[in-house]
Amino acid sequence: MEPLKTRWAALIMIGAMSVFLWTPAGSAQESRADSIARQQEDKSKNLQPEIQDRVELFIKKMTEGGWFFSATPRGFYPYFDSVYSGGGFTLGAAYRAYYGDYSFAEVRGLYSFKNYKRIEFRTVSPNHAGGLLEFDATGGWMDATQIPYYGLGIDSPKDGEANFRLQETYLQGGVTLRPVSWFKIRGASGYDRFVEKEGTAASPSIEELYGPGTAPTLGIDPSYVHTQATASFVWAPAEGYARRGGLFRLSAHDYRNVAGDIDNFQLTRGEVVQHIPILRETWVLSFRGRMESAHGSDSDVPYYMLPWLGSGSSLRGYGTGRFRDKHSLLMSGEWRWIPNRYALDMALFADAGTVAPHFKDLHMGDLKYDYGIGIRFHGPEITPLRFDIAHGSEGWHFVISSSAAF
Amino acid sequence: MNTRTCIEYGRLTWTSVIALLVLALLVSPAGAQQRKFYDDDPIAREPNTRDASGVLERDIDLMYDLARNLFAVPRNPTLVRAQNINTIDEVPDSEWFTNRIFAKQLSIDEAVKGPDTGQGPAPGKLIVTRAKQSGVTPGFTVKDSAGETWFVQFDAPGQSEAASGATVVATKLFHALGYFQTENYISYLDPAQLEVGDKAKVDTPSGRVRPMTIDDIHKVLARADKRPDGTYRMMASRGIKGRTIGGFKYFGTRKDDPNDIVPHEHRRELRALKVFGAWTNLVDMKAGNTLDTVLTENGRSVIRHYLQDVGSTFGTGALASREWDEGYEYIVEGDKAKKRLITLGFSLQPWQTIPYTEYGSIGRFEGDYFIPEEWKPRVPTAALVNARADDNFWAARRVMAFSDEMIRAIVKTGQYSEPAAEKHLADVLIKRRDKIGRSYLPAVNPLVEFRLDTSGELTFENAAVSAGFATAPRGGYEARWYRFDNNSGTATPIGSPITSQGLKIQAPEGLPAGDGEYIKVEVAAIDPPNSSWSIPMQIYFRRLTGGWKLVGLQRMPD
Repeated sequence: MEPLKTRWAALIMIGAMSVFLWTPAGSAQESRADSIARQQEDKSKNLQPEIQDRVELFIKKMTEGGWFFSATPRGFYPYFDSVYSGGGFTLGAAYRAYYGDYSFAEVRGLYSFKNYKRIEFRTVSPNHAGGLLEFDATGGWMDATQIPYYGLGIDSPKDGEANFRLQETYLQGGVTLRPVSWFKIRGASGYDRFVEKEGTAASPSIEELYGPGTAPTLGIDPSYVHTQATASFVWAPAEGYARRGGLFRLSAHDYRNVAGDIDNFQLTRGEVVQHIPILRETWVLSFRGRMESAHGSDSDVPYYMLPWLGSGSSLRGYGTGRFRDKHSLLMSGEWRWIPNRYALDMALFADAGTVAPHFKDLHMGDLKYDYGIGIRFHGPEITPLRFDIAHGSEGWHFVISSSAAF
Repeated sequence: MNTRTCIEYGRLTWTSVIALLVLALLVSPAGAQQRKFYDDDPIAREPNTRDASGVLERDIDLMYDLARNLFAVPRNPTLVRAQNINTIDEVPDSEWFTNRIFAKQLSIDEAVKGPDTGQGPAPGKLIVTRAKQSGVTPGFTVKDSAGETWFVQFDAPGQSEAASGATVVATKLFHALGYFQTENYISYLDPAQLEVGDKAKVDTPSGRVRPMTIDDIHKVLARADKRPDGTYRMMASRGIKGRTIGGFKYFGTRKDDPNDIVPHEHRRELRALKVFGAWTNLVDMKAGNTLDTVLTENGRSVIRHYLQDVGSTFGTGALASREWDEGYEYIVEGDKAKKRLITLGFSLQPWQTIPYTEYGSIGRFEGDYFIPEEWKPRVPTAALVNARADDNFWAARRVMAFSDEMIRAIVKTGQYSEPAAEKHLADVLIKRRDKIGRSYLPAVNPLVEFRLDTSGELTFENAAVSAGFATAPRGGYEARWYRFDNNSGTATPIGSPITSQGLKIQAPEGLPAGDGEYIKVEVAAIDPPNSSWSIPMQIYFRRLTGGWKLVGLQRMPD
C-alpha cells in the first residue's frame, strides 16, 4: 500500500475510534442506575460460592467439637488436667463418643514434662430421674515417676528429700444426686491398687533414706476397696474459675484393704472457698481453708496417702509433698486483679499450713508460710494455664498448673 | 494547518495522524474523566438489577467472627468516604436500609408501631415445633392457633422484663432509624397452652436430633423467669418472609450475591451503627445477630438484610445485667490490659467508678457519664472502625430527630411494670441522644439544607447551631463559586469569594443560565475554635427549567 493511502486508512480508523469512544460511555451509561447495574452485571459474571476458609473451618470444628467453652465436647478434644501434683506442665487429649443422647464414653490421656502419665477410660450417663441422677464409671492407670518424700511432720528437714515412683490402677463406679443446681452429693466405690517403685529423680529413692517407721507401709503394694461420699455446695458460677461466690465441700473416704498385710483406714477432707469481688470485680479477694485427716493406725496409712502440703495447689512456696502427716490444715488468700475479664487474671497470694500426727496438734504456731505472685489464663469456667512463683522459708518455688489454685 | 488543507493537498502526514489520535482520546468522554453527575442523580433507591436466587445458606461461625473482628478487622489507614451514598451524601433506600426518621415525617404512632403488622401470637394453643437453635436465652419455635410461626424467648430468672423489654423497644428504635427489623411482640404464656408438635426435634450433646418431649419444654421453662401467677412473659418474633441464608458480615461483600457490590465496611448505614449503637448500647454486634433472606419480587430474587437481634441493648444482657465494662472496652484491648497488669489493677477506667441507677428490667444504663466517641461494642466491628466524621454526622442527625415524646412513647412499648424503670430508660435515652448531637454535629462542617433560588441566593442551615450545640461562627460563612464542567470535572471560578454573617449568600454575577449547566459552591464556616468548619463543603447544583437542583454535596472533600 502506498504511504498516502496508509495515512488515509489511519484517518478513517481514527474516525471510527472517535465514534466508538464517544458512544458507550456517553449513551449506554446515561444514568447512575445504569452505572450500578453495570457493576452488578460485571460481578454476576464472576460469582463464587460463599465458602468458609480454612481458618473458619478449623475454628468451627473446634467449636462444634466443644474444644473450648463447652461441657459437652465430641470426638477428639484437648484435655486439661494434672496427672499427679508436681508433675509439671501437662499435655492431654481425649476422645469422647456418645452412646446415648447424653451418655458418653471417653478415653483420655495425659503426659507431663516429668514423664508422669495417665490413661483413663470414663463413662458418664447423666439425666436420669428427671435430671436428678448421674451415673459414672472410671478406670485407669497412672504413673508418677518422681514424687518427693521428706519424712513425716512439719519439722521434716528439706535435706531429707527422697523420691518414689507410684503407679496406681483404679476402677470406680459412682452416682451423683443433684436436687438443686447449687448442691450435689456423690457416692462411689471401686478398686485401687498401688505399686511403689524406685523414684527416677536425682534425689535418693525413698527406700535408701526411709523405712516403714518413717514412711508407713513402705515396701507394701496394697489394694483397696475404696468407697467415698462427697457433698458439695457451690454458689460460685463455676469451680474451675470464679470471681464471686464460693463453695463448701466435705468428703469421706474409706479404704478397705484386700491385699497385703495392713489395716483399713479412712480419710476425711473439708474445704471452703469464698471469692469477694471489689469495685466491680476490679479486684477479687479469694480465700480458702482446708482440713484433711487420716484415720487409722499410724503404721497402716500408706505414706503417699497421708494428707500433705506443698504443691501448686496448697503451700505453693514448697515442693510437692513437702510436709506429710495424718492431719493437715491449709489456709490461702489471694488478692487478684483482672487485666482482661475474659482471659487473664493476676494474683498476689499467701499460703499458710501445717501438718501434725494428731488433730489436736495442729497449732497455729507451727504454720509454714509462703507468698508469691501468679498469672492465670482462663476461660469463663476453666483455668487451663496457671503460673505461680512463690517464696517460702526454703526459697523460691515455681508452679505451672493446668487448673485453678482453688 | 487544518485537516481540510491536509486532505485537499494530499499532505496527510504521520504527525497529523498521531495528533488527531491524541485529540480524539482527549476530547472523548472515555478518555476524559468520567462525568461526575448523571441525570438521575441523586438516586433515591439503590438498584438491585441481578437475580440473586442462586445464593446458598451460609452460617458464619461465632468464634471465627469474633476472632476476625478482634484480630484482623479490615481497616484502611486512611478512612475513605462511604461508598453506598448518593451524590448528596445521603443513603438511598435499599435492601439494607429504608429512610424513615429525619428523612421523612415519622409520626409517633408510626414509630411506636415499628415493623409490626399485627398483634402477636393468636390466643389459644401454641404448638412447639422446634428447639431454639442459637443464643443463650431460653426459648423455642411455636405455631399459634392461626398457623403463624413465632420464635419465642423468655426473660432469664431474676431478670423479669429485661430481655423482652429491651428487644421490643430497641426494635422500634432501629426500625425508625431505617433498618429492617423482625416483628417482636411481648406476650404472656400459660404453660398449659403449650403442646409438643409431631415434628418437633431437639439437638442433644451427642449430636443426634431426637423428637422433643414435654420434659424438654419444662427444662426450657425452668430457665425462664416465672411470674407469680405461673405465667411467663415472652418475646415473640414473627417469622421473616423469604428463604433465610444466614447473617451478614460487617466487612467485605457476599461473593454469591451479584447485587452486593459495596464492601459492607463502606456502607454508611452500617458505619452509622457506631452512633446508633452508642445511643442504645448495642454492644453485641456480630454476624449472628443479623439475618439475610432471599425475597422474590417482580420475578427477581434479592437479598434483604435484617439487623435481626437488637436485644443486646441498654443495660441488660440475655441472662443478667451487662458486664461493667461493656460499652467501654473491647473484650480484648491490649493497652488497657497492660496498664491494669502493671498497676495491679489501679489503672481505673470510667466503667469501674461511674454510678448507676440500676433497675432489674433495665440493667446498667446511664447517660450522665456517657461519652459517645468513647463507646465501644464488644469487638472492633469493621464497619464501625471505618466510620468517618461525615458518617457520624449523618447518623447523629437521625438520632436527634427523635423527640422526647417519641422516645417516651417507644419506651412504653417495653411494657415495664415499674414506672420508674420506664422513666429511667427514656430519660437516659434522651440524655444520650443529646450527647450524641453535642459530640457529632459540631465535629465536621455542619452546614445542611442547601438551596439556591433563581435569583442566585444560596440559603442553608447550620445543624450544630440550630440544635443549640454550637454558636454561630464568628467569622461568618464564606462561599466560592465556580462554573462546573460535568464532563471534564473542571471548575472555573465565578467572581470573588463572598462572605456573609447570616445563612444566606448571594451569588456573584455570571451564574450560567442554560438548562443542564452545573455550578459548584464551596462553603466554609469561619470559626477558629471549630477548625473542621473551615474545610469547605462542596455543593453542586444543576440548572433546570424551574431553577437550581441540588445534585451534589460532599461534607468532607477528598
